[in-house]
Amino acid sequence: MKRNGTKFVTTDRPDGQELREKGGPLAGARGYGAWIVSMGVAVVFLSPLLWMLAASLREEASIFQGGWLGADGWTLQNYADAWRRAALGRALLNSALQVLVIGGGGLLVNAMAAYAFARLEFRGREWLFAAVVMLIVLPVEVLAVPMFFTVRDLGLTGGYGAAMAGLTVPFLAKAFNIYFLRQHFLTVPAALEEAAVMDGAGPWRLFWNVALPSIKPALATVVVLDLLTHWGDFLWPLMIATREETRTVQLSLANLFTQPPVQWGDILACAVLATLPVMLFFRWFQRYVVATDARAGIK
Amino acid sequence: MSVLCGYPGFRVLTGVLSVVLLLSCGAGCRRAPTDDGGKKVIRVWSHQGQEAENRAMRGIAKAFNQAHAERGLRVDLSFFPDFQYAEKLAIAAAARDLPDAFELDGPAVARLVDAGLLAQLDAYFDRAERDDFLPTIIAQGTVDGKLYALGAFDSAVVLYYDRDLLAKAGVKPSTDDEGWTWDEFVQACERLQAAGIEPLAMHMDDSADEWFTYAFSPVVWSGGGHLIASDAPRVRGVLASKENLRSLRAWQDVFTRKFAATDPVDPNPFGNGKVAMDWTGHWMARAHLEKKGDRLGAMRLPRMGEKPVAPCGSWCWGVSTQAGDPELAALWVRWVTDAKTGVEPLVRANGAVPARRSAFAAFPEYSENPYRLFREQLETTARPRPRTPFYATLTGRFAAALRDIARGADVEARLKQAEDEVQSVIDRRVGGGKIKREEKEAAEQEGRP
Amino acid sequence: MTVWQRARGRSAPWFLLPALALLAVFVVWPLLRAGWWSFTNADLLSPERSQGVGLANYADLAGDGRFRRAFGNTWLFALLVVPLQTVGAFFLALWVNRPEPAWRWLRAVFFVPVVVAMPVLAVLWTLLYQPAQGGEMGPVNAALAVFGVPPQAWLRDPTLALPAIAFMSIWQGVGLQMMVFLAGLQGVSKELLDAARIDGAGAWQRVWNVVIPAMRNTIIFVVTVTTILAFRIFVQPYLMTRGGPGNSTLSLIQSVYEMTFISQDLGRACAAAMAFLLLVGGLTWLQRRLLKEERE
Repeated sequence: MKRNGTKFVTTDRPDGQELREKGGPLAGARGYGAWIVSMGVAVVFLSPLLWMLAASLREEASIFQGGWLGADGWTLQNYADAWRRAALGRALLNSALQVLVIGGGGLLVNAMAAYAFARLEFRGREWLFAAVVMLIVLPVEVLAVPMFFTVRDLGLTGGYGAAMAGLTVPFLAKAFNIYFLRQHFLTVPAALEEAAVMDGAGPWRLFWNVALPSIKPALATVVVLDLLTHWGDFLWPLMIATREETRTVQLSLANLFTQPPVQWGDILACAVLATLPVMLFFRWFQRYVVATDARAGIK
Repeated sequence: MSVLCGYPGFRVLTGVLSVVLLLSCGAGCRRAPTDDGGKKVIRVWSHQGQEAENRAMRGIAKAFNQAHAERGLRVDLSFFPDFQYAEKLAIAAAARDLPDAFELDGPAVARLVDAGLLAQLDAYFDRAERDDFLPTIIAQGTVDGKLYALGAFDSAVVLYYDRDLLAKAGVKPSTDDEGWTWDEFVQACERLQAAGIEPLAMHMDDSADEWFTYAFSPVVWSGGGHLIASDAPRVRGVLASKENLRSLRAWQDVFTRKFAATDPVDPNPFGNGKVAMDWTGHWMARAHLEKKGDRLGAMRLPRMGEKPVAPCGSWCWGVSTQAGDPELAALWVRWVTDAKTGVEPLVRANGAVPARRSAFAAFPEYSENPYRLFREQLETTARPRPRTPFYATLTGRFAAALRDIARGADVEARLKQAEDEVQSVIDRRVGGGKIKREEKEAAEQEGRP
Repeated sequence: MTVWQRARGRSAPWFLLPALALLAVFVVWPLLRAGWWSFTNADLLSPERSQGVGLANYADLAGDGRFRRAFGNTWLFALLVVPLQTVGAFFLALWVNRPEPAWRWLRAVFFVPVVVAMPVLAVLWTLLYQPAQGGEMGPVNAALAVFGVPPQAWLRDPTLALPAIAFMSIWQGVGLQMMVFLAGLQGVSKELLDAARIDGAGAWQRVWNVVIPAMRNTIIFVVTVTTILAFRIFVQPYLMTRGGPGNSTLSLIQSVYEMTFISQDLGRACAAAMAFLLLVGGLTWLQRRLLKEERE
């Protein structure tokens, strides 16, 4: 994977962090002591999630009793019940479709705009870009209500197809993603493109065959961020998904959570099932997650 | 066009657009009233209650589908949680995606009628059928003399009491059907307190504001007051009227004199034997009877003035004006409010008061108190909450005022504040609009300023 | 700018059109419409039939106790979360800043809650915070009981509910800020640190005198982003407490949502949304100014 000289810090980056090694600020905390303390802290930090997993596998009566690892009361029944009561099959499918459309479609739309801002010269480029940058800090939640009316006027509410479009289309274009990808397109050496121009490549081929492949890590970052954000969407689906068949997984969970009688085992099983897909995906994409350049958003 | 098509970007753009169109086409295709292999589908929303009630509702839908299979008719039932039902309905109404028929809370009827979203039901229920419903159910669903909604059950609030505890303090429950006057009620509380017994539970812990308006409006009404003027959307001079100040000051005394707790911890102190009387609804009848048996008594809520007034109102059914086929939607409303196919299974599941007189035969418990009283007061003294498009604002502000008054706020100042808050919303909504103009003209004709 | 870039500029509109059209329709247009409605008595069910009311909506907001409460709650939440989460993330970053591959897992640990969706965590923590009832209690109370702390009714106590939600939110978000700090730490000059060490500066002095000044921009960035995120709080109280008990956790977003769909007063809701935007915009502007001053 080409890095093209951009500064990526990935979660498992092996190089460069020498603060501690060569007398970093907390150089004293090393060795087995640090290891044991870290393990302890990690277990405490993750205990809510570990507890969620353990409790989801227990019978209702024993959830609050017998600590984490009581000998009996283990069951998979919660998962079966949650799957049925929350109609999770449909909900997971809806959520997957939602994040795939936003992640994939958004990537294309934003990358195209970012490429134009980075690589093509046209009149008004600077102020147009400045206008896009200004949109970055708008909190989407506050705009949800007027956005809802726009989406309604476009007919993107109601039936299944319309609601799925209403869930996704408004979030395809993102000012931050355009900004972020532009910064990365800027780092692609012009020489690469000039060679392609010699071969008679048009702007589309330059974009598709040269520029895009050069910033794959940045593209992956954008996809991961979109995925994390929209998998957890709540307010927007709450407004758009007015029918049972359009519920996303978070809505199904919230629904199960508020439906009497409260069955904690089912709720926790549903929570685990709502978390697993994104965990697995993240584990797979983890090496691309960029923290450094997220800062670029404000500077 | 061919020039444009040569541009690579154009291909992408058309690609994006066609995806969008493809997705939204699904909507158009689905809006048609028939799908599902030629079957006609009636889209129906119901609130999600206790599991037993939901099961009953599913059973009713299933029976409907079986009975109408020959006609190729099917209801598609969706549940939404109780607490967010009102907002879901508002969202769907705003999105112009209301189901064909839906359940709604009684006080919400006027608002939806005002917005032109509820269809008239008069044509679907003949005179005899309408007379079979409790008068409160008809009143709750009627706006400007036209019927828009009907329910399968109604509700009741009474003053439950523990005979043993009252006897211990030497308090005699009211012997006639009228219940206590407010003075008798206060005297009873005094005696109980003197005997070292906590007198009363008012359930002020209820986080739902609606409880306050629902359960304590009778205090205002029986004292001769109102929440909102009946002829115009106006609360100024109504909510903080002399009558209401007097009634609610007396009501406040219940808390300042510690007859009832303002912030109770125990949700059911009466059932647990800690207090002697319980100001609560029909939904506690079963539990209280099980706990107390013959010791349980029930009387009307104490009255401020001459006549007792009881609260009422519950979920009811309406047909959307956007329904593909209103007649089919009304068919469902008939089914779910029918004594046999709707009322019986629902009331068996949720324990509410049957909405139809012909349904009481199936519930022998209504020959005795507290159930007899539930029906009795719905037939005679119950009054629905105000039927105004501004109900949501009114109840929110009034309930907040009641909560503060119970905690010791100055009654007049607090009611005036609520009055101002509600009136400002009303004025803004109708400001310069039709209603206000008419009011002004009327005022000018009468020579008022 | 090379010749071909200028030459290909003609295709720029096609590259820009999809994104800019979508932004215009789904961000700019709603923003303008909300601004317009905020000066009218627009009604949720028929916003087309609205009339201008001037600044009445804004004036009413100022006198609306519920909105003021939501405003105060949101500020309080931000004041709890921003400093604690920033400081916490900073020290976590120092702690996990270990280059050996064997330590990689530690960074991942703190990032895990970031990956889990907020509604899931809201539901989970509602259960964790369960009060004691009939001999059973939620895990948080059970864990505290080990240290002799009596069980609390976390989410049902008006004074504890907001701090409890803030604690859970910090736990969820601290990993993300930690990653940003971790990245910033790589920019701290090793020469400076070494020089400080030779001068006999202890670990804390090095953090205070070298690391923090060098990371000033990162810190300001983290504070800015955390502030914006904190002001956007909605899901946690909406699911965990419904804004209660006694409005003690009502958030700004929830109050806008309720004005829209419960009071159905679209004009006032839009005024609240605009006020909110001005607030967040103002804070961002303020923090950017701080950042700029540093650069000069």
